[in-house]
Amino acid sequence: MAGMSRRGFLLAAAGAAAASALPIPPPRRRLLQMNGYPIDAETPLELLGETYITPNDLFFVRHHWNPVFPDAATWALTVDGEVERPLALSLGDLKAMPRASATCVLQCAGNGRALHRPIVPGVQWTYGAAGNARWTGVRVRDVLEKAGLKAGAKHLHTFGTDKPPEKVPPFHRSLELDKVREDGIIAFEMNGAPLPLLHGAPARLVVPGWAGDHWMKWLDRISPQPSAQTGFYMDTAYRFPKNPGEPGVTFKPDEMSPVTELFVKSNITEAPPRARVGRKATIRGIAFSGAPDVARVDVSDDGGKTWAAATLGKDHDPFAWRLWSFAYLPKAAGKTTLVARATDSRGSVQPKDAVWNQSGYFYNAWPSVEIEVSA
Amino acid sequence: MRLSRSLAAAFGAVIGGALLLGQAAPEAARETPPPPLGTELGELPAGAMKPLADQACLHCHSADMIRQQRLTEKQWTAEVAKMVGWGAVVPEDQRAALVAYLLEHFGPDNDRFRPVAAQPVGK
Repeated sequence: MAGMSRRGFLLAAAGAAAASALPIPPPRRRLLQMNGYPIDAETPLELLGETYITPNDLFFVRHHWNPVFPDAATWALTVDGEVERPLALSLGDLKAMPRASATCVLQCAGNGRALHRPIVPGVQWTYGAAGNARWTGVRVRDVLEKAGLKAGAKHLHTFGTDKPPEKVPPFHRSLELDKVREDGIIAFEMNGAPLPLLHGAPARLVVPGWAGDHWMKWLDRISPQPSAQTGFYMDTAYRFPKNPGEPGVTFKPDEMSPVTELFVKSNITEAPPRARVGRKATIRGIAFSGAPDVARVDVSDDGGKTWAAATLGKDHDPFAWRLWSFAYLPKAAGKTTLVARATDSRGSVQPKDAVWNQSGYFYNAWPSVEIEVSA
Repeated sequence: MRLSRSLAAAFGAVIGGALLLGQAAPEAARETPPPPLGTELGELPAGAMKPLADQACLHCHSADMIRQQRLTEKQWTAEVAKMVGWGAVVPEDQRAALVAYLLEHFGPDNDRFRPVAAQPVGK
């Protein structure tokens, strides 16, 4: 197509950039790129905890394959399936409907995959395939009401414009209608700006508290149906063990169920490498969960035998993350390891170890940091 | 290759915008900036199997996708079989050699992959 190969285009683009004295971002303002095409890049850990809202240009990017970006002027959202009146809604049609917003975490199901042992294949995300943003658009339930949802529908099938190459299965998904009617949003704004192309413009699905595989980008069709979608991205990928097993032992499909709600998790995003006995050293982090809020974050300097409560940041919204900080007072010289543990509003506690699974989903073991304490 | 026109147009716009900005603020250029997001960062390593790996794998994803893996022989064998099923062209009699090449460079004992800083694009 278009007479230029993907690689040729990228090399030309890189050459143009190098030759043109691009404005230099502050050194910390960057993404960590895992994959040049399709683009996969995460936010550096130390930037995650700097702000309650993750800026759009620092938000992680995860593409399954080279996307086909829709033209917003001609784009329409098709609503068909178990509805009385199939619809094709333009962006203008959506913007004329009542607005809804949610500030919540988007996390790739594979965030932390690189931390699982034994090692598993896939994009080697560490910490930053997660971000907290304010998403604005229209409620999924309002769109379904407009179309006249029929009683028999139980699952919402979702489709985007990105198409896979060769015989690669398409990224077609579905999720339970009950969930998406409760708080799902078809978003066309991200943090007050038009949704960026890299994040699914003109519109994407927002499913508060659920893993990113449900948040269909470049959304162009929703279809309520009596049963769930089938195919590779439902039946093989995005599944998690129902019960933990031995690390390294592959689970069979019927031993797993689809990933849905995020697991309770904290990260330490900032800690001083050195501290002194009797002087407070502040560590900071983030915490979030598939439950609506984080109840507490605790820190231990003895491997989890005793815990002390961290201070939660004042900003919070349902399914958003909480910033936290902890003023650690070292009592003895030497290397000290601090670990953190979040507890959510439903009482789920972040585990010491994550559940190993062959796809590397939902890593949520206690984060740790080592501090050199001098007398 | 299947580069979509819309992708090229969109990134052309992003990079074009950056060029204009660059002209407006040349004094900012004190050191080499990180490459813009979406730049392919590395090649597959040299070897007898590189041409085959290039043509079989890089149609759908950059070499970076492979360079970050640290897989066992069993895992590489499964990955190659999956990708052949999805359209990668690897002659049957060369699959074992391809797996050996991947295992040599991207096995569990190879040095850890480090993602590379990339310059954010767009807002």
